[in-house]
Amino acid sequence: MTTTTPTAGAVPGTAPAARKAPARRHPYLAALRTPRGLTGLALVALIVLGGLFAPLLSGHDPTAQSGLGLAAPGTAGHPLGTDDLGRDLLGRVLYGIRTDLGVIALAVPLGALLGCLFALLAAAHPVADTAVQRVFDLILAFPGLILALAVTAVLGPGRLPVILVIALAEIPVFGRQLRGGILVQREREYVVAARVGGTSSSRALVRHILPNAADPLVVQLALSLTVAVFLEGAMSFLGVGVRPPEPTLGSVLNQSMPYLADAPQFAAGPLLAVTVLVLGLSLVADALNREIRR
Amino acid sequence: MRSYLLKRLPSALLVLVLASFLIFGILRLVPGDPASALAGPDADTATVAAIRERLGLNEPLFAQYGSWIGGLISGDLGPSYVIGGDTADLITGGLGATVELTLGALLFTVLLGTAFGVLGATSRSRGVRTAVRVVTTGALAVPSFVTGVLLVLVFSVAVRVLPSGGRVPLLEAPDLSVQYLLLPSLCLALPSAAVLGRYLKDGIERTLGEEYVRTATAAGIPPRRLLWRHALPNALPPVVTVLGMQIGQLLGGAVLVEAIFAWPGLGQLAEQGLVRRDYPVVQDLLLLLVTVFVLVQLLTDLVYAWLDPRIRWE
Repeated sequence: MTTTTPTAGAVPGTAPAARKAPARRHPYLAALRTPRGLTGLALVALIVLGGLFAPLLSGHDPTAQSGLGLAAPGTAGHPLGTDDLGRDLLGRVLYGIRTDLGVIALAVPLGALLGCLFALLAAAHPVADTAVQRVFDLILAFPGLILALAVTAVLGPGRLPVILVIALAEIPVFGRQLRGGILVQREREYVVAARVGGTSSSRALVRHILPNAADPLVVQLALSLTVAVFLEGAMSFLGVGVRPPEPTLGSVLNQSMPYLADAPQFAAGPLLAVTVLVLGLSLVADALNREIRR
Repeated sequence: MRSYLLKRLPSALLVLVLASFLIFGILRLVPGDPASALAGPDADTATVAAIRERLGLNEPLFAQYGSWIGGLISGDLGPSYVIGGDTADLITGGLGATVELTLGALLFTVLLGTAFGVLGATSRSRGVRTAVRVVTTGALAVPSFVTGVLLVLVFSVAVRVLPSGGRVPLLEAPDLSVQYLLLPSLCLALPSAAVLGRYLKDGIERTLGEEYVRTATAAGIPPRRLLWRHALPNALPPVVTVLGMQIGQLLGGAVLVEAIFAWPGLGQLAEQGLVRRDYPVVQDLLLLLVTVFVLVQLLTDLVYAWLDPRIRWE
């Protein structure tokens, strides 16, 4: 994989020289600098910054009830209006982003890490491989939201079950991909050559096999973040997610449902935030994926 | 084919048995005494004792598991303590609604998926191809709780042509029923249709590039006939697997879509059971859904093996 993106500011005619120069960026960084990748990053950044600077941007406590009731946008210092309990909607959306991102940023890496550990276990021994495969099958037998129902049946609603559901759902996704990658790379000639040359099996794994096998996981990470946004939002929407009054995008959207006909602006904030976030993430995933497939 | 089935069946059965252990364990893992949790804080000791008896909590775990599975197989699920009524009746009622929703969504998935695939692969207009790409990307990325609310905003609030929620059984009043079915099944189908469309587009593009297609073109076969009679059928085998996996996704997604559109199916029943802590109902439902999901996966593998004989020898 080589980068074919011309260096910024390269003068036409000097292109061959520029290509020869060791200005080699990691291919993934180059993928992120394509229009697609940049748009995706910008959209994600917009939402992340909105969540980070929620206290500065809104100036209202997202759980404080103003007594206004369902108020139109622009009423008394509430740019998006207030919800049915008189709480500032802009604040609820921005703090909702915070809650969502906090859950997702913990859950997806946790699931990825556990999945990779399972994959390493599977690569170690055929018996372990069979056992790990059955564990993956078992988790995959519960499609996303059914898994959510099963976990909340035991733990009740809350933040921990959401994190657990997302992490559990991601284990087989990352595990299968890394296991497959390790199996393919292990048979490659360069690995066989290294082993013949006296490289220990653990060193071959860490230095040669893993870096190549783990490459596609970067794309998976971006895709899994989209799935996590879905799972977290769906669980909040179903009332088994993070507990109220703490706002999440899914719960604000759910509360707006009875008022869609009279106050569609109630739903606008969370709709826009979720859409921008998932479109940004999938554009990033798409840009990275194109790089891998080249 | 039979040897492939014999090889594939044990692992599916194993997964089912393990899943049933897990689901069985749920009730036992809930902190505190499940019988008094079920009976509620105000229940007298007689009710708690009756629930204990019904759940067989005094018996050894083995026997409890055995009678649970036995009851499921014979269809005798006992009464539901919290929601009220017979558990089997509750599940049958919900099942009808969920099957209706899923079948509607499956129809939309196939129709829209084929349209996305064929248009994306063969349209001469760059605008149409871009539009297909944008729509499939959006349908795939945007969660169904967002598309659901958007569909309601457009078709029930802005234009007011379709109801925003509820259900009329298909057999009672078909014309009215379809109006209620349209939005939820479209909402449920969109992500699956996008996945199907992408696979179909790749498949058609691949087969259209093959040599026999070039030969057929040279022989004067019109492009339309080439597409529908030659390229499309040959692009189908991998698409069947994708469709099978999507059926499972539809069942899982139904839980959420039912909540958005107040559709009284299994998902609503599960949600109700969870919120009101009616654990036996939740347990029965979970096992039912997982069983259907595993069976659909098995069936998909078998159909794929039947379509592509190379699979069997792996």
